Amino acid sequence: MSRSLVSWFGPVRTATGGLLRHKVQAIVIGMVLLVSTASATLGLALLASGNAPFQHAFAAQNGADLAVTVNPAHATAAQLDATRALHGITAAAGPFAEATVQTQQGGQPFGQLTLAGRASPGGRVDDAVLTDGHWPDAPGQVVLDNASGNGGLNVGNTLTITGRPGARSLTVVGFANSVTDTADGWVVPAEIGDLQAPGTPPSAQLLYRFASAGSAAQVRADLAEVTGALPPGTVTGSYPWQSAESQTTSNGAIMEPFVVAFALIGLAMAVLIVANVVSGAVVAGYHRIGVLKSIGLTPAQVVVAYLSRVGLPALAGCVAGVVAGNVLAIPVLRQSAEAYGVGQQLVPLWASVLAPAGLLALTMLAAFGPALRAGRLSATQAIAAGRAPATGRGYAVHRLMARLRLPRPVGLGLAAPFARPARTAVSLAAIAFGATAVIFAFGLHSSLGRAAAAQTLSATVPVEIQADGPGTGAGPGQFPDAGQDAAVTAALRAQPGTAQQTTVYQNGVKVPGLPGSVNAWAFGGGSSWLGYGVIAGHWSDAPGQVDVNTAFLTASGLSVGDTATVDTGTAQVTVHIAGEVFYPDSTPTVFGSTRTLPGLATTANLSQWDVNLRPGTSTDGYVQAVNNALGGRSPWAATTHKDGGKFYSIAVGLIGTLSLMVGIAAGLGVLNTVLMTTRDRVHDLGVFKALGMRPGQVLTMVVCWIAVPAVIAGAIAAPAAVALNSATVRAMAGTAHTGVPASFTQVFPPSRLALLALAALVIAAAGALAPASWAARARPVVALRTE
Amino acid sequence: MSDQSTPGEVIRVDGVTKAYQSDALPALADVSMGVAAGEVVAVMGPSGSGKSTLLNLIAGLDRPTAGTVTVAGRRIDTLGESALARFRARHVGIIFQFFNLLDDLTVEDNVLLPAQLAGASRRQARARAGELLEQMGIASFRDSYPARMSGGQRQRVAIARALVNSPEVLLADEPTGALDTATGQEIGRLLRSLAAGGQTLVLVTHDPEMAARYAARVVHIVDGRLAGAGVGALR
Repeated sequence: MSRSLVSWFGPVRTATGGLLRHKVQAIVIGMVLLVSTASATLGLALLASGNAPFQHAFAAQNGADLAVTVNPAHATAAQLDATRALHGITAAAGPFAEATVQTQQGGQPFGQLTLAGRASPGGRVDDAVLTDGHWPDAPGQVVLDNASGNGGLNVGNTLTITGRPGARSLTVVGFANSVTDTADGWVVPAEIGDLQAPGTPPSAQLLYRFASAGSAAQVRADLAEVTGALPPGTVTGSYPWQSAESQTTSNGAIMEPFVVAFALIGLAMAVLIVANVVSGAVVAGYHRIGVLKSIGLTPAQVVVAYLSRVGLPALAGCVAGVVAGNVLAIPVLRQSAEAYGVGQQLVPLWASVLAPAGLLALTMLAAFGPALRAGRLSATQAIAAGRAPATGRGYAVHRLMARLRLPRPVGLGLAAPFARPARTAVSLAAIAFGATAVIFAFGLHSSLGRAAAAQTLSATVPVEIQADGPGTGAGPGQFPDAGQDAAVTAALRAQPGTAQQTTVYQNGVKVPGLPGSVNAWAFGGGSSWLGYGVIAGHWSDAPGQVDVNTAFLTASGLSVGDTATVDTGTAQVTVHIAGEVFYPDSTPTVFGSTRTLPGLATTANLSQWDVNLRPGTSTDGYVQAVNNALGGRSPWAATTHKDGGKFYSIAVGLIGTLSLMVGIAAGLGVLNTVLMTTRDRVHDLGVFKALGMRPGQVLTMVVCWIAVPAVIAGAIAAPAAVALNSATVRAMAGTAHTGVPASFTQVFPPSRLALLALAALVIAAAGALAPASWAARARPVVALRTE
Repeated sequence: MSDQSTPGEVIRVDGVTKAYQSDALPALADVSMGVAAGEVVAVMGPSGSGKSTLLNLIAGLDRPTAGTVTVAGRRIDTLGESALARFRARHVGIIFQFFNLLDDLTVEDNVLLPAQLAGASRRQARARAGELLEQMGIASFRDSYPARMSGGQRQRVAIARALVNSPEVLLADEPTGALDTATGQEIGRLLRSLAAGGQTLVLVTHDPEMAARYAARVVHIVDGRLAGAGVGALR
């Protein structure tokens, strides 16, 4: 560094006085930037991970455009192998022999699993990602797919295979993700033959990637080409990538609206707080700068002095913030990765650069204005500026407070904010943002809870009897017979704990005007107790009425109250649309009774029984009793209803983390404001103490400084949070192709809202407490000396 | 808390040392003195001699490094911050060189403040404040703000504020230091009238004429040590 540069920066260094002279303010700047940067980093990472996660995972794992199930007995190995060379196929894997088995774990039905024999997880197609344990390297071992849920299993647990002669068990040696869900689990290829139930046809899967598979039509054409290349009857099933996508992406997209909402709140908070901190630092330093200008500091040196005073702690905060953001993102992204079936998700490098760089630039921009103003001030103006509130501000309020019968420290505290209206407004805004975030978080938590309950019916249907889920015994292509079905009904009726039960049938139906198949659910008994969330209209209560999901209304252009024609395959009926129900699925779906939708109530379509229990009935005990009554050879088994799943746990964790961060930032904003006011009024505090104000009274007074802004902030935050929650829930529902029942957004009864609005007071008190304590502890003689 | 003072003394300072930094000379070194009830004592000395430090210790605004301070029958150097604040509010009135009025409070509210902090009844405090404002000749400024008043008027407000709780001890730190000569003499006469009414007063000044004119006894401090005592006009 040249000598002239050193001599130029010398006075700048003197002017800033070093960071240690302003350590509390440096810490506040650093902390606010830390929280803001961490929040921004996390937000960007989540937006990045939520942006087309399926596509990212699909590309990373060489997902199968099409999984084709074949009966290898109908084709030779050479014929199967020859399909690799078909036109348009860019990669292929298999054939992997597969077997569908019934399992138990710990004596309880665990469900039907499709297991594929694969020597390794990797390959040119469907490169499964091992998330735990190791790939099977010997018979008797299995790796389970995460997508189908761990079911409470851990590595080392054992699954017992049922429904075949001889005892056989598989030890879980790992978990893996297959983005295209090609199997529920994998074993060594040699084991498949031993797992197959006697009499069932052999089965294998062929996995393909095509040059053109972007649309359903292209995939259908690809399937036709493969099917045509093989002997008739060879292809027994297929699974296109779109089916896998619809299972995963809707959940991920749902999170984007509230992540965006929190990111916007965080950004606004950061701008406000940083501007407030910097302006306060500038004002607090005017006197010193004025003195130094009077002895020769140039305007440029003043500007640089201010920017360096703010910039160093800001830089430290940003660096610490980006580290904290990455650390915070790890568990959230891990959950997200599991939900999406992606092996690992990291904070993208651009997010780790953009978040700190953006906030640092924002900080310096906020600092530049006041610094420039300080540089332009004359020495005498600088000395005089910022020393005290403008004469006359807040005097009338002080007078009013003196007339009220309030304890004097309370009256003095309540009147103080009116002396600095601009600073008070910034504090008010910071508290309002923080309180909005907290109230919004509580509301969103409640809304998501209601959505989860309505989506899964877990609150009203604690027990299900399933055939194609955990606890069944039918092989592929086989259906339980009518006698076995009747046994279930008899078993349920015999249980004293049964409050309500209904049979549920499911199949595709045709609705003229709607492309493709419409999903139809038909109920064999009363169904109003099932608890589907009604968005508009009512739940069907008479023959000829149906309810539909939002996707049905959107695709058909029909409305509640209209009629539609439904072709069930055996009959064509005209139905009246009684209501729109919450069923977040992009597939149009219709719900009605078996009388309204004739032809659906067949053994082949019987999907499950939904059961509600009498109060006081143990769910586990009931499930055990029903399964004992059905016996081990029944294709049906009772299970407890699943909870809301991974999406809801990710969302709830994320909401908690984001609201905590925004709340902390708001508290720091308050701390900074009160600190600045304390410094402004340190001499007055000395006078108060000299006149006999006790530490407790000082504490009360200083906390009261922020009470009025906090009350106003709470009054603003409460309705703002209600509106934000409604908008966010509707946006989330929109991404999930559904409307929402009004009850999902009406989660703020007045008493709860009033209680939540107290968050503003809590944030204000928490932020004010530290500077209030410092003021209370300060020795009066020290305060009096501080001019 | 034992009474360390001799009978008739309202202030007793014994062996008091005050050091702000351990490696520097103390601001006060082994100072002992007493002030009788109703006595007016002037503490004199050059700038930095330690006279304001002594006043701060007597007021309970600061604590001695060594020694004891007893005021109005209570040893105050061992009191906690809350007890000390309560003690100041009830037993000590302080007049500052630069008035130290609160600009955002009216004259009356400034005067009322110590009474309100001490928990006095509202009616009694207002009556006492009104009486003092009359006594100080500034009753017409009751609803005015200090910033619009002259230096002399402000100091009268400060004196009224110091007296509102009828303290045993009135402490004045250079009470005329920020005033012109004529106004300073007005304030001096006001203090003398208070002394004549039996008010114990400790007056810090570097003005020998003022000390001689208004104090019964003059105490000299040089470099933190008592350098001798003299007799003032009030004797």
